[in-house]
Formats: sequence, structure tokens, C-alpha cells
Amino acid sequence: MIETANENVKLLAGLQELFASATHDASAAMCRWTDGIISVALDALRQVALEDVAVELAVGDEPLTMVVMTLSGDLGGSIILMFDDLNGRQLAASLLGREAGTDPEWSELEKSALMETGNILGCAYVNALTRLVGMDLLPSAPYFIQDFGASVLQQALMIQAAAGDSLLLCDIGFHRQGAKLDWRVIFVPTPGLQASLAQSLHAAPQP
Amino acid sequence: MITTATSTKTLETMVGMGQITAGGPPHKMKAVVGSCIALSLYHPRLKRGAMAHIVLPESAGRDGMPGKFANTAIPQMLDLLKELNTPAACLTAKLAGGANMFASAGPLRIGDANIEAVAQALRAAGIRITAQDVGGNRGRRVTFECEGGAMIVESAGQATKTL
Repeated sequence: MIETANENVKLLAGLQELFASATHDASAAMCRWTDGIISVALDALRQVALEDVAVELAVGDEPLTMVVMTLSGDLGGSIILMFDDLNGRQLAASLLGREAGTDPEWSELEKSALMETGNILGCAYVNALTRLVGMDLLPSAPYFIQDFGASVLQQALMIQAAAGDSLLLCDIGFHRQGAKLDWRVIFVPTPGLQASLAQSLHAAPQP
Repeated sequence: MITTATSTKTLETMVGMGQITAGGPPHKMKAVVGSCIALSLYHPRLKRGAMAHIVLPESAGRDGMPGKFANTAIPQMLDLLKELNTPAACLTAKLAGGANMFASAGPLRIGDANIEAVAQALRAAGIRITAQDVGGNRGRRVTFECEGGAMIVESAGQATKTL
């Protein structure tokens, strides 16, 4: 039992390194997209009990603005960019070089700016993971959702929930010139992708 | 986790994925659902009820919390209500959720399967559905009140419904 726990800790540490490496690539892409202003970093690789996921991730029960990309197939998963309305609007405004909108309805241009951010970030992340597992991962086009964060996260977790009561998620934070922002990306890999990543860890040359 | 509560002070419980809570007034039970189902069973005369946050349609022999699957949640809810001296006769059901949040791009269209599985499990248990707000592609914030058995359903950008 202790050996199994130790193996799990080792596996998580290895996966954390892989996800940190993929996040590093995504951060470089994000810096280019925002003229060096915004970067991203892996906050934590979390292993969370099913019933605690909304509380542990503090997604709350208020509506959020999100951009979602999904990876289909066995090596699948979901990437969710989450902002509260104000922060999402501020990001869109800074990318568009204009004042943040005040109309309750987001304009198509604002949505497009946020979806393009999701596309750039998500594709850079997925490309890095593709190199690590040596197999093609195919992301969907990004789409824009304004809804409860917990509701969206729930759908992303379904494949993991079907396999067990313990869930694995990457929590990625945004930074503006070193200061942490109240924006985040959550990546939910399917069990198949987790297994492939674990396999790539075993295949990697030992130091 | 499975909990029961009979406290007399106002009590609100957030029911997480796979959890079940049972109690009486003034207990309020809350859940935020997307493709999951918030299911309440209520005895109007005794004013006792239970709420489950059901995640998947079928356990198919898999281990897991009883509240996680439609086919295991309902028997567990009945057991919990029995512990609160609430018989299965006269219980009524309300449900909300079963959305497909990611539309066609999603990994699974599990919402529809959850709705069907819950309806089937309720039929098997002989419990009548008196109201429901299910399907679509929006999340729902659900509050179940043990005082009168109302289920209040809020969706982002839409009018609140009381079932």
C-alpha cells in the first residue's frame, strides 16, 4: 500500500514536470500574442475527490466567461479558460486596443478576441503535449460560453468520473509582468491521455 | 458522502458531485449542475426530503459513491429517508439538469443519458415525477427547500423557475 502511495507521488511529480513543460511553451505563445505582457504558469497539478472538485477549485456558483477547447479520442481532454466577466472584458479590450465594453451582451469582436486567445494558448499547450506523447492530439475549434463554471467543469470531467472517484486536473494561472491575475486555465486530461503521458515518463532516459 | 440533517436552525448544504443529503425544514440543499442531475425526493405531509447530485446513468458494477449513478442513488435516497422515518409511499420527485454543455463538440452527450436513466430508475421505484427542468445546453443552479418541497432553478441569463 505504501509502495503504491509512493508510486503515485512519483507519478504525479513526473506528470507535474511534463505539464509544467507544456505550460512553458504555452506561456511563450501567450507572451507573443500579448506583446510580452501576459504569461502563464502551472499553479498545481491537482488530484481531487469527485465530490470536492467545485470547492477545491473554487469555481463557485457564479456565472463565468469561458473559452473551451476539447480534444477528441482516447487521448483526449478539455481545456477551459475561465474569467469573471470584468476580467474577460479587460483582456479582450487590451487585445483590441480599445476601452472595455459595457454592453451586457459581448460583441462578436470581443468574443473573437477571447476565442483567439484560447486558440493560441490551447494549441501551444496541445502541441507541446503531442511532442511528449509522440501521438497527434486534435483540438476542436474554441468556443465561447457564459455559464456557471462548475457546470462546464462537470461536463469536462465526465470521462474521468466514469473511470473513478479521483480526478486529475492542471490548474494554470495567468501573470501580468509578474503579478498574478484572476484568470485561469483548467486542463482535464482523459485517463487514456494520462496513461500515455505516464508511459512517456517511463520511456524517458533516467538522469 | 451521505448526510442527514434534522436541525431546527436554517441550514444550507452544498451537494457535491455524487453526494446525497437528506433532511427536513428549514434545510435547503443546493447544487450546480451541467450534464449531472439534481434529483429531489419529497414527502409533502412529513416535509422530509433528500437531494442527490447524480453524475452518470449506470454503475454497471463499478465501485463508487451510491449518489454518483442513477441506478444506485435512488435506493440510497430511499434508505436515508427511511432512517428519517419517511416511508417511500407518497414520495414525489423533481429533477433539473442533464444539459449538454459542449454541444456537438463535447466528449460525451451524457446529459440525455442521465435524464433517461433517472426517469427509468424512478419508474422502477414507483415514484412519480411532478416537475422537471432538463436538457438544453445551459448550466443550472438548483436549490431544494425542505419546507415546501420547491425546487428553484436558476440558469445564467434566464428567468428563475420554481418547480
